[in-house]
Amino acid sequence: MSQRRGIHVDQSELLCKKGCGFYGNGAWQGLCSKCWREENQREKQRQIQEDQALAERLQREEEEAYASRHQRAQSQPAVTPFNKFEERKTKEKSSRVNTVTKFFTPSTKTPPKKDAGPFDTQSTPSPSSSAGRQSSLDRDRATQEFIDFLKAVKSGREIFKQCRAFTESMAYKRDMGADELSECVQDFYQNLSDRLHNQFKGSSELVERVMDEVEKYMMTRLYTEVFCPETTDDEKKDLAIQKRIRDLHWVTIEMLCVPVDEEIPEVSDSVVKAITDIIEMDSKQVPKDKLGCITRCSKHIFNGIRVSKKEAASADDFLPTLIYIVLKANPPRLQSNIQYITRFCNPSRLMTGEDGYYFTNLCCAVAFIEKLDGQSLNMSSEEFELYMSGQASPNGPQPAASSSSSGSAALSQAHNSLDVLTGLDERQERVIEKARQLESDLIDWTDEVEQKVQSALESFPLETQQSTTSAASETASAALSAIDSENVENELLPPPLQPQVFAG
Amino acid sequence: MATAGAAGSRTYSFKVVLLGEGCVGKTSLVLRYCENKFNDKHITTLQASFLTKKLNITGKRVNLAIWDTAGQERFHALGPIYYRDSNGAILVYDITDEDSFQKVKNWVKELRKMLGNEICLCIVGNKIDLDKDRNVSVEEAESYSESVGAKHYHTSAKLNKGIEELFLDLCKRMMETAQAEERAKGNGASQSASSRRGVQIVDDEPQATPAGGCCSSG
Repeated sequence: MSQRRGIHVDQSELLCKKGCGFYGNGAWQGLCSKCWREENQREKQRQIQEDQALAERLQREEEEAYASRHQRAQSQPAVTPFNKFEERKTKEKSSRVNTVTKFFTPSTKTPPKKDAGPFDTQSTPSPSSSAGRQSSLDRDRATQEFIDFLKAVKSGREIFKQCRAFTESMAYKRDMGADELSECVQDFYQNLSDRLHNQFKGSSELVERVMDEVEKYMMTRLYTEVFCPETTDDEKKDLAIQKRIRDLHWVTIEMLCVPVDEEIPEVSDSVVKAITDIIEMDSKQVPKDKLGCITRCSKHIFNGIRVSKKEAASADDFLPTLIYIVLKANPPRLQSNIQYITRFCNPSRLMTGEDGYYFTNLCCAVAFIEKLDGQSLNMSSEEFELYMSGQASPNGPQPAASSSSSGSAALSQAHNSLDVLTGLDERQERVIEKARQLESDLIDWTDEVEQKVQSALESFPLETQQSTTSAASETASAALSAIDSENVENELLPPPLQPQVFAG
Repeated sequence: MATAGAAGSRTYSFKVVLLGEGCVGKTSLVLRYCENKFNDKHITTLQASFLTKKLNITGKRVNLAIWDTAGQERFHALGPIYYRDSNGAILVYDITDEDSFQKVKNWVKELRKMLGNEICLCIVGNKIDLDKDRNVSVEEAESYSESVGAKHYHTSAKLNKGIEELFLDLCKRMMETAQAEERAKGNGASQSASSRRGVQIVDDEPQATPAGGCCSSG
């Protein structure tokens, strides 16, 4: 029965489950071929749609995550190493630099991004849009700092409004020449400081501080637009001075009559520091910070001169040394930096301040380098031409005289160190020798002591020692008994005196 | 452009350049004035090329910034970069050195050409302690100074003679010039323009700069 039932298939079970009247098939999940195809198609479609939705969701999530990371990096930069990396990445992305002179900006040193993914292509700015070049990160930070600073200042809101409005208006003046831009900015500085003095009745000190912050805020925002603008030939001048300095590589300390002696370690240290500072100038954005670099460089120069000459440096010493430093450093974008500071620095700083004095000296050094000829180096113009064309080098004809070039200085220093090292070596050997001697002396001494003890033992054998000790003990006991016997006599003596108490 | 622009508190800020040949004693002069030191081996200042001095003259505060310049002949062409926007110039010569006096004459010509009469000139014969070796006659120096509208002084940095008077006198004259300028300007409507233009520096071609233009407008 059951077997029969087992093979018995009802007619209705053979039909398509959809009830379309056709016969179904087990392989098609009990559907007829027509219904199966329909069902299958729908299934596939849904799968595709689901996949698509999933993909979209994933992408959206990724986008959000990226955006939030971005935001975090902007609002509080350099908090974690990761943020730092993000920061550099955004910098890298936003600074599409295509000129050779921008080689020295730190942002270009970062490796090319790999994981920026699909967002990279859509957010890459065109190289011509200078706004895109600017690191929005720095700008936002500058804005935040500016706002924080102004919170403590009376009518800070008003000042901020003005600065922001002016900075934004500058964006529309991009096509203007650099001189007009400078005029605008300087006019603004002047008007603002006049207002601060007259309307807000600020003390000169406060006004100066506010103006510093204003300069910092505005110039950070405007930096990429007004630094080495395309309307000027600043870049051409940069390259010209760079080439000029390279061509003058043969100029020595003696030719310039520089009063520093690089053989002294402290002096050469100062020289290196001065060079570092003047090169660092290019990495700053605010004119005041750039001036700060020049001032630090100058201070190192003064230190070098003072150590060499043992007296305070005068301008007669300072200018040649500064020229020498500039020649050695070949600072990047020198002319652009000078022009930028001249155009956009706060005027009071340049006119009478100490920074202004050093800046003026740097301008002098550059002017001197540009106009340099044989006469200014105390040599004939033929000689000068020979050196310039590279046909002769000043080290050639008089190698002994110019032995104080940096190369031989380093060599002599190496020799000195070697001498010191060999001296140390000898001393160490002597010490080791002495130590060995001491060791053998010690061994000898212990041997000697042992020997002496041995000989002493031999000369006084053990038996005699024993007999003497026994004899000694006998005499001692005899003495004891004698004392006891004497004690008897002691009783015959009068009693010892007793302390008496006197009344009253 | 002589003032700091501080309308509330009257403080004058003056820039004074020191010009003169190499060894006439510019640095000694200014070190003696600002630090009261001469050939001192125990120098506390790192440098003697930029020094400042605060003065109080008849109740007015004056900030003096003294700019030393490199005196070597080969740096002569850089002069205009140094002395633009300065209110006063001290031209130093060595009374034992006729040549250094000739250099002063050259400077005067150049300054008058570039800056006009805006700048107060002082011609200083230094090293009067070496009067027995004098090579520049007093009459000649004084009559020349008068002819170019400059004041003449005799100083000795070594003996600390005449230096205080020199700077005090110069400050007074610069204040007068500044006050006259202010009066000429009236309500100071053009003040912003002139003081601003004072920093329009053209760095690459100092000689070609019509420096007279930038200061005569004020």
